[in-house]
Amino acid sequence: MAERIIINPVTRIEGHAKISIYLDDSGRVDSAQFHVVEFRGFEKFCQGRPFHEMPGLMSRICGICPVSHILASAKAGDHLLGVQVPPAAEKQRRLVNYAQLLQSHALSFFHLSAPDLLLGFDSPVEKRNVFGLAEKHPETARRGIRLRQFGQRIVELLGGKKIHPAWATPGGVLSAVSTDTRDEILACVPEAIDTLQKALSTMKSIMDTFHDEIEHIGNFPSLFLGTVSREGELEYYNGLIRIVDGEGNIVADGLDPLRYHTFLGEASEEWSFMKFPYYKPLGYPGGMYRVGPLARLNVARWAGTSLADRELREFKQRIRESVCQSFHYHMARLIEMLHAVERIEEIASDAELLDTHVCARAGQNRNEGIGSCEAPRGTLFHHYTVDDHGLIQKANLLIATAQNNLAINKAVEQTARRFVAGNTMTEGMLNRVEAAIRCYDPCLSCSTHAIGQMPLVVELKSSTGDVLSRIERG
Amino acid sequence: MKTIILAIGNSLRRDDGAAHRVLELLESQSGVFTRSLLQLAPEQSEEIAPARIVVFVDADIEPGPPRIERLPRGDPPPRSPLAHSLRPAEVVALARSLFHFTGQAYVCRVPGADFSEGEGLSGTASRNAIRAAELLRDLLYTPESR
Repeated sequence: MAERIIINPVTRIEGHAKISIYLDDSGRVDSAQFHVVEFRGFEKFCQGRPFHEMPGLMSRICGICPVSHILASAKAGDHLLGVQVPPAAEKQRRLVNYAQLLQSHALSFFHLSAPDLLLGFDSPVEKRNVFGLAEKHPETARRGIRLRQFGQRIVELLGGKKIHPAWATPGGVLSAVSTDTRDEILACVPEAIDTLQKALSTMKSIMDTFHDEIEHIGNFPSLFLGTVSREGELEYYNGLIRIVDGEGNIVADGLDPLRYHTFLGEASEEWSFMKFPYYKPLGYPGGMYRVGPLARLNVARWAGTSLADRELREFKQRIRESVCQSFHYHMARLIEMLHAVERIEEIASDAELLDTHVCARAGQNRNEGIGSCEAPRGTLFHHYTVDDHGLIQKANLLIATAQNNLAINKAVEQTARRFVAGNTMTEGMLNRVEAAIRCYDPCLSCSTHAIGQMPLVVELKSSTGDVLSRIERG
Repeated sequence: MKTIILAIGNSLRRDDGAAHRVLELLESQSGVFTRSLLQLAPEQSEEIAPARIVVFVDADIEPGPPRIERLPRGDPPPRSPLAHSLRPAEVVALARSLFHFTGQAYVCRVPGADFSEGEGLSGTASRNAIRAAELLRDLLYTPESR
């Protein structure tokens, strides 16, 4: 009889999830699913609230990437007001967005993935964590902590606190930046760049030892979606959407994020609370696309900063023009962090950052507002409809992790097919399946915000499709 | 820095924010640095490193009186299943191994009764926060501890 192996919980990712691996009669992996069983309700319980409150409310979606939700929400508010934020406010928003990307990627790379990369996928499970890393590679662990601290400190300096800073508001930000703050930021840049160059050097030196993982952990063609500037550079705050295919060909370009709903659809499956976004012209599930660090590097022609551009060129030459292996999300994070630190230095060195005019004043001028930005895990959209009193009637959040949902499921299935065999699983097999998910660094607390929909159904099926048992929730 | 007190918890989950109330009840004292946090992260290991004494104040789902427990020195670091946030013992272990922390570490547990979504502490947590502040004063503010 066909059997199912359940790995629950998945360790070292944010939120809660379950993986089901279905075996056929011969004990081989037939299929696999990545279930999200966490359930929240942000789109529903914000209804009736004034849109000015939304950045603060939406920041509570996540403790890892609150800045992204604040920015997308504030930008949706800008759209409702019909204003352009003052230049100093835009620079602050960009600065904090880069800082958040830095701290989030540092956590993902140095604390969650480096144990696999530096200690080995088959190293003892009790040592394959940040403490094992601290024991074997103390300098790397120490530098990773300090790098994340740098990003967090910028968020704290500008936003008032590290987690859930509510300093961005429709029209701009709440306060100006002082020279002391600017100087403190600039003083930390050299160490951050040194840390990242060392980490990139290490990563390049060990890359070839992961041939099997690179080839079989989530290596498949898909579309990639990300924001680029008009010149095709990496862009995280205000740009146009570009989509490329698995060979690097541009499928769509110059797409306006404000019209995201015309080219992105959202499907749901009864076995997960997380949505399944897709590229509409190719339908569901054929319109699977990936977002986040690897997608951004795939859609951008260049980074736009000198050190990151050098690394990006080498990365693309080493692999090929478009990278389909999920494993390379790790390298992509390092390149993005280097780019973020360069941009942080650039913005902090700009005298305009210190301007005290940081908020545009206006009344509500629209009933529909959309804001988007690049979050650490990919492109983020907040879409609000308000009544004439500015009260939220409808909110739709299209979250980065959800946009990777189809790809995560495909990566899990592919990895299970390669590394899982028979009715028993070794720790190494388990870890590789989980590692397929960790490539995407999913933030499940962000991506499960619907309420009263998508009940979770758990089914145990035989190889002939008969339901052996069924549990329904919600 | 002589002493650092880290209050951990989410004040939007009612009694989970009890630690923050404890900090409000403590008088400011020279040499004592306090900080409110939603959760512990790896960077706290560097923050506590210069301290002689570190106290983690946290709500506790187990009923009973508030209590202060000393974290044993030299134990192997426990593993965290979700590394996005760490436990006090793990922060201390990282601080010892990476940032030369040599001080004493304590956990002050503040039992609560209601951890549902919302603001404000239950009567149980409010009373326990007052008692926990008294315990911390005894530990940190008495002449012999200075």
